[in-house]
Amino acid sequence: MAYIQGRNVNLTFRPPNRNPVKALSNFDIDVEEGEFLSIVGPSGCGKSTFLNAILGLLRIDSGDLLMSSKPILGPGTDRAMVFQEFGLLPWRTVQDNVALGLELKGVPAETRRNVCRGLIDMVGLTGFEGHYPHELSGGMKQRVGLARALATDPDVLLMDEPFAALDAQTRDIMQAELLRIWQKARKTVLFVTHQIEEAIYLSDRVMVMTKRPGRAKRMFAIGLPRPRDYEMRVTPEFNELKLQIWNELKDEITV
Amino acid sequence: MAQIVVKDAAPPIPFTEQYRSMLLGFLSVALFLAAWQAVFLFVPFNPLFISKPTLIAASFYELVTSGELFRELAVSAVPFTYGFSAAVVVGVTVGIVMGWRTRVGYALDPLMTVFYASPLVALAPLVIVFFGVGVSGKAIIIFLLSVFPFIFNAQAGVRAVDWMLIFLFHDPATTEKDLYLKVIFPSVLPYIVAGARIAIGRGLIGVLVAEFFAASEGIGYAIARYGDLFALDKMFACIVAIMIIAVVMTEGIRWAERSAFPWRVGQ
Repeated sequence: MAYIQGRNVNLTFRPPNRNPVKALSNFDIDVEEGEFLSIVGPSGCGKSTFLNAILGLLRIDSGDLLMSSKPILGPGTDRAMVFQEFGLLPWRTVQDNVALGLELKGVPAETRRNVCRGLIDMVGLTGFEGHYPHELSGGMKQRVGLARALATDPDVLLMDEPFAALDAQTRDIMQAELLRIWQKARKTVLFVTHQIEEAIYLSDRVMVMTKRPGRAKRMFAIGLPRPRDYEMRVTPEFNELKLQIWNELKDEITV
Repeated sequence: MAQIVVKDAAPPIPFTEQYRSMLLGFLSVALFLAAWQAVFLFVPFNPLFISKPTLIAASFYELVTSGELFRELAVSAVPFTYGFSAAVVVGVTVGIVMGWRTRVGYALDPLMTVFYASPLVALAPLVIVFFGVGVSGKAIIIFLLSVFPFIFNAQAGVRAVDWMLIFLFHDPATTEKDLYLKVIFPSVLPYIVAGARIAIGRGLIGVLVAEFFAASEGIGYAIARYGDLFALDKMFACIVAIMIIAVVMTEGIRWAERSAFPWRVGQ
């Protein structure tokens, strides 16, 4: 059985003071342990909602959402989220932001420092431990966001358009950085994005979702070898995949 | 023989350009005082109706050296401290509850807005009737005037808490205390301090108004008494003292905001 399994998941999003929105309808998904799976879909199709359901912040109405064969009933330290807008505490230094999860778990300060040193080194921020978020560039902030998510050593990393707030070149660098870190940390990654190229470049598989209420439309296996490099983006296989995914996706997009 | 000059640094910025904003600011103050002084070269000077900067400065010096100014200020500081402290405690508490509990916010918002917008100083005589001319009456007027900026700013601060940050704390290991101490309080604090900047000015107005109506000592009483005695040099000297205190307190808070919450600069 798959590591994360969703069967006939229905979810209605109920924002305060507004009408409820049916976000997911009979949504099916299988995520294998250790794989990098991206979800692409039109804006508002429920892909971020799905990540929040896995994180345990939103309850599903009906269907099954299982992780390691157990239903997801609430948040837990086995899952961590990386946010589009970074979600850093502005009054905390890089070091203290990364340490947040460990601090909440009651890990002693000495251990926290050691874990953080390793992670800050891994995301390439050594020397910036004492800086505050407002002193960092967007790319650096997201490196902190990534280190913070990895700090509690979760099994699953949920990434909600993590590079959407970055400029195109920083984004390319961060994609390569993410692959490098993922190669080392070997987490199961669920990655939500709007950018097809990003999804192909990073993932083992890419799922296309329908427009709201979101269902799984089609799954693409990305057969490109790893480690991946930038040149792969101009190979015929890459472009063929890009075209196929776009053809599935374009019918779902209404402007 | 030609000399080779190596330009290894940008030319030094002239003094006037480096401190331009400060110099221009001082210049306008100086011009204002000079114009005030100079006007009496053409207009006959009657010390019963007006004063001029040189005389005010002399009186100020006299009030400082005789210790009278500090005596009056010390008297006024007592109700100010009580009233303002109560405004911080009550205002922040009410504001946070209004921001956190949506229904409480909806219920109290119109009432608080009405009070905030209304000229509460008009109630000063009534407060004096109820609570007397002592410290308590003054403190209540100061409290009434300075509590609302705290209420509204604390409420805005809670509403502006980044929900994403709260998501970070959606973890079984997290306690409510962690959430309050590590997210909500640090998020709201800059708003409260910004509220304090507004409240200081209103609180000082409260001091003066309370002491105008009924008091036998204090800086507001001194201003009223010197006015009644046509000792306008001294009256203006007391007003200048209040001005200096207001500027120092407001700017002090502004400075504290910049150094304590650098991420909010420019917001």
